[in-house]
Amino acid sequence: MKYFVTVNGRAREVDLVERLGRIEVSVDGRKLDLSYEEVDNLGQVALIEGGRSWGVSIEGDEHTVTCSIAGRLYAVEIEDERERAAHAAEREASKGGGVVKSIMPGVVVKLLVKEGDVVEKGQALLVLEAMKMQNEIGAPGPGVVKALHVKEKEAVSSGAKLVTLAAPPA
Amino acid sequence: MFRRILIANRGEIALRIIRTCREMGVEPVAVYSDVDRKSLHVRMAHSAVALGGSTPRESYLDAAKVIAAAKASGAEAIHPGYGFLSERAYFARAVVEAGLVWIGPPADAIETMGDKIIARRTMQAAGVPVVPGLVDPIEDVERAVADAERIGFPIMLKASAGGGGKGIRIVRNAKDLPGAFRTASGEAQAAFGDGRMYIERYLDEPRHIEVQLLFDKHGNGVHYGERECSIQRRHQKLIEEAPSVVIDDALRVRIGEIAVRAGAAVGYQNAGTVEFLYSKGEVFFLEMNTRLQVEHPVTEMVYGVDLVREQLRVAAGEKLGYTQAEVLARKRGWSMEVRINAEDPFNGFVPSTGVIGNLRAPGGPWVRLDAALYRGMEVSLNYDPMLAKLIVWGPDRTAAIERMKRALAELNVGGVRTSAPAALTVLEDERFVRGDFDTHFLNTVDLAAPRGGEDDLVAASAAIYRHLLARRRALVTGASTRAAWSARSRARHSAYPPHVPATSTPSAEKGLPR
Repeated sequence: MKYFVTVNGRAREVDLVERLGRIEVSVDGRKLDLSYEEVDNLGQVALIEGGRSWGVSIEGDEHTVTCSIAGRLYAVEIEDERERAAHAAEREASKGGGVVKSIMPGVVVKLLVKEGDVVEKGQALLVLEAMKMQNEIGAPGPGVVKALHVKEKEAVSSGAKLVTLAAPPA
Repeated sequence: MFRRILIANRGEIALRIIRTCREMGVEPVAVYSDVDRKSLHVRMAHSAVALGGSTPRESYLDAAKVIAAAKASGAEAIHPGYGFLSERAYFARAVVEAGLVWIGPPADAIETMGDKIIARRTMQAAGVPVVPGLVDPIEDVERAVADAERIGFPIMLKASAGGGGKGIRIVRNAKDLPGAFRTASGEAQAAFGDGRMYIERYLDEPRHIEVQLLFDKHGNGVHYGERECSIQRRHQKLIEEAPSVVIDDALRVRIGEIAVRAGAAVGYQNAGTVEFLYSKGEVFFLEMNTRLQVEHPVTEMVYGVDLVREQLRVAAGEKLGYTQAEVLARKRGWSMEVRINAEDPFNGFVPSTGVIGNLRAPGGPWVRLDAALYRGMEVSLNYDPMLAKLIVWGPDRTAAIERMKRALAELNVGGVRTSAPAALTVLEDERFVRGDFDTHFLNTVDLAAPRGGEDDLVAASAAIYRHLLARRRALVTGASTRAAWSARSRARHSAYPPHVPATSTPSAEKGLPR
């Protein structure tokens, strides 16, 4: 089984083979001498690689995984070959614009743009209040406001669509 | 001494107070909101009273409910902790009027220090140095622009009724002022119901130094030296330490005396903290926090004192029983504290919510974890994002830093993102190790930059994790076709919950069959 694993922004190819209950793994073609033992089914893992020992903690789903080693956090994304192709097609389709999503749950305090507005990169689109702090949500890039998905005073969950931007006028 | 006291708080500070109560033979009474029924502070208390409601306003901020709970439980006194009602003068007054003892300063002292303008005037009159700035708070943007030009940039906007970093903005030029003023004022209006802003000069290379005070009811007051809290982001502290590298013995005596004078000027009793801005050898009074501080443990470690025990003793009418010289003679070594907040340092420190599923606590010599964390705890947006405080002591600063790094490596709080990796980045920064920093320090460190080192190992582990996860899922027959109750039940009980919505609350699920 081949996986494309992005660790802190850098992609790696991991090959995983299970032989008689033993997992063999190589990263970018380099075979690792790895022993991976789940401790408690909650995410604690006892890892030994080439004699070096690590108390690792892993949690997440099939696609997004958070890994902790010695106090350091690693944000990991995993795709298999089929998912990788699908995601690449998706990215190509939304080129030049895109949807601004909420990165946290909160309440929309104020909308600062309306449909049809031309916005610059970083320009504030709306004010979102979370944990009693007001945060200005900026445009990820230049564009035109194509649709507003929220109203003022509306509560939004993490990942909710806020604004759709279209490619900027040439 | 009291036989039974009520703790009008939740989380780690409620548990912190409960622990001292237990050691003193005082029965601690907990209060709790609906969502906190299973909290550790409830389980560790002698008795517990339900306040009902889920938001702070319906529960821990409802003064009448809290006082009624105290009366009903037979408590003789109320300890407010920090936050919530701790600095509300009307609450302190109501507690006393209800015939209970208030474990805190007199209501008048809270009132004086709680109003930044009156506090400033009172301090000036008492001969305490203050930062140059406006005497009165203002409401409109045009006046703010005019006044800011006169005081000189950079300036700081502070909410007249503010606290905890809310409603604060630093503005470096006139162009940014109107926008900053509006959002800060709006924030203050939302949080405190008062949108008036206070403008003052922002000092260069400022360090946040604060002095711990303790007064009894007989006019005796001492200070417990300083804490250094300059490692802060948007005025929220991340790392605190005691003592400070910039305070020598002579300066400690001097700022200690100023702090005691500030407390005496308002007739202070119980524990409190005077905050100073230190800039190039000078100190200016900033404000006084009329309560126990979040970071009080670093003082406890260095002076070998239990400040909560001292609070209870003086509130019960006991005399301090020691002199300033005796306090300073107990100073020993160095202590540091790291706040573990539920926020994502790799994503602009946005709040992180979820269920704590995977917990590993650090231990070993001179490591203290003040937390009310437990496996299965839901981290929601209802309450403060601080999950835990990790505190260490060492014979000197270098030893304390190394011990903190070691403890952070042992700590693992899974299910939410935390600020812990950011703290590790700071502890490894050469300037921090040298003690060469000010309150702007965190702006100069890229806390979002990934600092891995074991990326290959992680890539391999993550792939194996997914592989085993997929295999485990496949064993659950017909997972996708089962009825909703089954999926819900599995979400609650399986080791790896498939997409538990972060916003789900127990009340939202009550109506569903199980």
